[in-house]
Amino acid sequence: MQAYIIRRLLALIPTLIFASIIVFTTVRLIPGDIIDMMLSQNDISASKMDREALMATLGLDKPMWSQYLTWIGNLFKGDMGNSLWQSTPVTERLAQRIPVTFELGVLAILIGLLIALPVGVYSAIRQDTAGDYIARSFSILLLAIPSFWLGTMVVVIPSILWGWSPEVSYIPFWEDPWGNLKQMLVPAAVLGAALSAVTMRMTRTMMLEVLRQDYIRTATAKGLPERLVVFRHALRNALIPVVTLIGLQAPLVIGGAVIIEQIFGIPGMGTLLLDAVSQRDYPVITGVFLVVGLAVMLINLLVDLSYGLLDPRVRVRS
Amino acid sequence: MSAAAPTLTEASAEAPIKPAGFVRRLIRDKPLGAAGGLIFLLFLFCGIFADVLAPYGMNEINPIDRLQAPSWAHPFGTDNLGRDMLSRCLHGAKLSVIIGLSAATIATLISVLIGIATGYLGGKFDLIVQRFVDAWMSFPELIILIVVVSVLGPGMFQIIGTLGLLLGIAGSRIIRSAVVSVRENMYVHAAQSIGATTPRILWKHILPNILPPIIVLFTTRVGAVILAESGLSFLGLGVPPPAPTWGGLLSGSGRTYMFQGPWLALAPGLCLTVVVYATNVFGDALRDLLDPRLRGSR
Amino acid sequence: MKFSKVKSAIGGIALAGALSLVSGGALAQAPAEAPKYGGTLSVATIYYTISALTWDPADWNWKANHDTGQYFEQLFAADLSKSKKAGGKHAFVADAYLPLDAIRGELAESWSWKENPLRLEVKLRKGVMFPEKKGVMASRELVADDVVFSYNHLNASPKKIPSYFDHVTKVEATDKHTVLFTFKDYFAEWDYRFGWGYYSSIFPKEVVAAGAKDWKNHNGTGPFMLTDFVNGNSTTFTKNPIYWDKERIGGTEYKLPFVDKVIYRTIKDEAASYAALRTGRLDIHEGVRWSAVDELKKNAPQLKWSRHLNMVGTFLAMRVDTKPFDDVRVRRALNMAVNKQEIVKTFWGGNAELFGYPQHPDYVGYFEPLASMPESVKELFTYNPEKAKKLLAEAGHPNGFTFKVQVNANSPVHMDLLPMVAAYLEKVGVKMQIEPLEYGAFLSRMTSKTNSAGYFMDNGHTNPTTTIRKSFVTGQTWNPSQYADAALDKKVAAMYAERDEGKRQQMLKEMTREIVDKAPYIWLPTGYVYSAWWPWVKNYDGELRAGAVRPGPIYARLWIDQEQKQKMGFK
Repeated sequence: MQAYIIRRLLALIPTLIFASIIVFTTVRLIPGDIIDMMLSQNDISASKMDREALMATLGLDKPMWSQYLTWIGNLFKGDMGNSLWQSTPVTERLAQRIPVTFELGVLAILIGLLIALPVGVYSAIRQDTAGDYIARSFSILLLAIPSFWLGTMVVVIPSILWGWSPEVSYIPFWEDPWGNLKQMLVPAAVLGAALSAVTMRMTRTMMLEVLRQDYIRTATAKGLPERLVVFRHALRNALIPVVTLIGLQAPLVIGGAVIIEQIFGIPGMGTLLLDAVSQRDYPVITGVFLVVGLAVMLINLLVDLSYGLLDPRVRVRS
Repeated sequence: MSAAAPTLTEASAEAPIKPAGFVRRLIRDKPLGAAGGLIFLLFLFCGIFADVLAPYGMNEINPIDRLQAPSWAHPFGTDNLGRDMLSRCLHGAKLSVIIGLSAATIATLISVLIGIATGYLGGKFDLIVQRFVDAWMSFPELIILIVVVSVLGPGMFQIIGTLGLLLGIAGSRIIRSAVVSVRENMYVHAAQSIGATTPRILWKHILPNILPPIIVLFTTRVGAVILAESGLSFLGLGVPPPAPTWGGLLSGSGRTYMFQGPWLALAPGLCLTVVVYATNVFGDALRDLLDPRLRGSR
Repeated sequence: MKFSKVKSAIGGIALAGALSLVSGGALAQAPAEAPKYGGTLSVATIYYTISALTWDPADWNWKANHDTGQYFEQLFAADLSKSKKAGGKHAFVADAYLPLDAIRGELAESWSWKENPLRLEVKLRKGVMFPEKKGVMASRELVADDVVFSYNHLNASPKKIPSYFDHVTKVEATDKHTVLFTFKDYFAEWDYRFGWGYYSSIFPKEVVAAGAKDWKNHNGTGPFMLTDFVNGNSTTFTKNPIYWDKERIGGTEYKLPFVDKVIYRTIKDEAASYAALRTGRLDIHEGVRWSAVDELKKNAPQLKWSRHLNMVGTFLAMRVDTKPFDDVRVRRALNMAVNKQEIVKTFWGGNAELFGYPQHPDYVGYFEPLASMPESVKELFTYNPEKAKKLLAEAGHPNGFTFKVQVNANSPVHMDLLPMVAAYLEKVGVKMQIEPLEYGAFLSRMTSKTNSAGYFMDNGHTNPTTTIRKSFVTGQTWNPSQYADAALDKKVAAMYAERDEGKRQQMLKEMTREIVDKAPYIWLPTGYVYSAWWPWVKNYDGELRAGAVRPGPIYARLWIDQEQKQKMGFK
């Protein structure tokens, strides 16, 4: 098992390097130089000399490979460079945003599971009844409504009908847990509802498959109560693909749900990236991609390892 | 061993799907899915014949008629520049058909190519490509889209290409696992042992057996693409106006004028939701009917 | 330079200086409601979608004043006693313009000109204190050295706008409270460049020593102190207990500021910000779109409103260095081909003015309304497709032509307006190929001067002199039409050297007429922008800026009637 983990971790490195090169170069391909943007801020024309002076200040005058090597070198010192606009370290900006996105993602996934698991199990047990159809139809409906529209409705309608709108202040969780949740719960719920749709159907499908297995029929034939059958035997095995699904939703946890962030004013990774892209803040963009990529790969690794816990066959094989 | 084809006795080998019987089963067993399929066909029809069906042009600006509620002259009302919403939505259907089907086709092709290659060949090649797929899927979709659209600039083809590539790589996993389960059956081993070439095996034995998941994948992708484009429109990175994509209409004038003219949001929103809903239930029904593991259960 | 002119110029300026000796604001005209202290102001400012881009003054960022201007003060600021609510005639919405009769000394108590060489002697207020900032500085008095330090620090920055301070020879402190500026020559924008402008903050050297890039180190003499910053969400300012300024209201002098806290809300989404306004989470919402006003008035009828004509001009620039736009007849024809009145009525729902650029109606003395313009200018704003076709034929395009127009894909307003303009042009045979570009790419086309023949954009006025210079002087950054007229360049230079404001106004009026007439742009209507606030916000009437994008002094003078707020059902 240990060897497996180490092998997987080592395998990440070349992937990350490969990805970082691509991201590093691609963002600099985005048309609309940052120099142009900075210079356009002032209303007096810049001569060529000023352009070059600005480029030198920002460290953009060196050739691409030199910039890349400098960046990699600094990376090992834990320095991702400085934001080109604010001159503050990229790590600082990431450190501000990561907990926010992480919290939103975790809350969303939890809420999603809270909705999806019971509904999915119920749907499977009461297959093809009215309840099943309603549950399934509703979850597909949630999927079919664009998230920005759902978010807009949640914000706008209550403000008109009941004079209530979601909290706009962001307070870090450790400063004031309830204050923090007041803002985060609503967007997490919207996000979670959308996530739950997919998870619910997957749960239902896998439960259905598992329920048809021989050992389940045996348990039922033995006279075990339904609840016992479902929870002790069926659910465990049906959870494996569900865990996979959570792993697939992992990018949200760290990458940020840009649209929800934008509507609810949550200062997360998604908006950080969006802003950085429109401002051509290359170090920030590369930093975000790196952190997101690394985190997702680690989460996927955790997911793979958890299979060992859930499915003894996997444990035996590896 | 004789050169005759082995008999189809393996449980996992499929009987060829007969279209007529299939449709009958669809309607009988999965009425919701059948309805979804019907709507999907209707959507395709509207999209393809939008130019003929639409009473007005796609961009007929007529400021005098702005923000009119639905009426006989304008069944979906008019927008803030006086354009007929029904025509805009029909042309939006055309765009959705083009974008949705093209991107879904590209995605499915990529998924199939990668899935078959890695699933069948296995070994080192599989390992390397899987790492690449892993790396690719480590980045949230939207993030990649944001960067790519910024690099390539806003436009329909850029979006089709990017969405196709993204969804294609993500979907390759599904095809790959289907290929893995098929390649182990006797049928394939038999063909290999008589010296059939790999392409022949892939074409004659693997592909037909993984057709069901491919079909299902394709139908679900269409909905996903339409939704993704709407998300991009909200962020300002979708197909630029005046192109009347449903997502663009909903996130643009739909939101700005949601009080003065709710129909500006209702019309494209309903179109979008209904079509995505329909493709999803249709895809679900197809999966239920075509997936051998769930055969026998409804 | 004639001595008499100099005298009248100095007289005008000295008068302004003397008037500023009267501390604080003047008598407020409105019946005095006694101000109340306390409460928190939650405001979505005119820039509510973006947080501070950077905090360091040495970054030369245009938005800095908006965020740091609550605590970094400047030599001069707006005289808010001249605002409309106080009976004056100024709305104080211009982004970087203060009329000469509405400038007061903020940190400067008085100032006077000296000749040979041209110098400005500024006497600072005494007893203005920096509050204590843990880890950065102890509380101390503001001295002339601080002004000198700020100027030199800005001047030495690698990100400085080139030639911005070229008119200044040196800045020095002649004693503890006196700063002496030595100028090369008179330059009309001297007070805008370093006085009350974008890059005129006075900050202490201790802040720079501790690291000006970190907002936690910031400290200034202003009415509020920066206490919290959540990038992308909010900026919090807390009352400065030892702030020096007072305001006279109803005969009594009150220490400023009134509110305990000011919170800037950053909300990227319009629908969400209006919802926050509706439910009282925002006390003030600046920059409300006209299309949202009716619904807000219906669902939150107690809101108070003001509106102002947007400080930007919207236009379609035509490159005068490419065919067919090198022919003024073609450019004039296209102007006549667009039904601008209909755009005002239908696109803007009536909430727009036909003629608000390049000069803005608020620029009293500089602005000439369309009615008093010569016929040839008025013609450009009269819908006349027949004449347009005739002109086009005369210029050699009887069947029209096709041209490419680049537009910012991220601006929903532009993406809607441009097709409308295209529809009008098509009626006279001119076809448009629209190329939407993402904002960054769009902007860099202009700065690199590679923009297409047509370029659809907004441009801010800034102030009456800059609006002409930055867009119509040869080779300037914001000159997408590549307008290049050596005679005009000379006139602009002469205008900057002219000390008499009356004469400058006359010169600018002539230049404006000339430029509008030559039609390098298809001039389009300018829309109105609204501001809304709840009635418990007092002593506020929609003023936006008391300097260059600087609302600090405005928020310092308003107060919140917390009782009224509670009575209305909000907390």
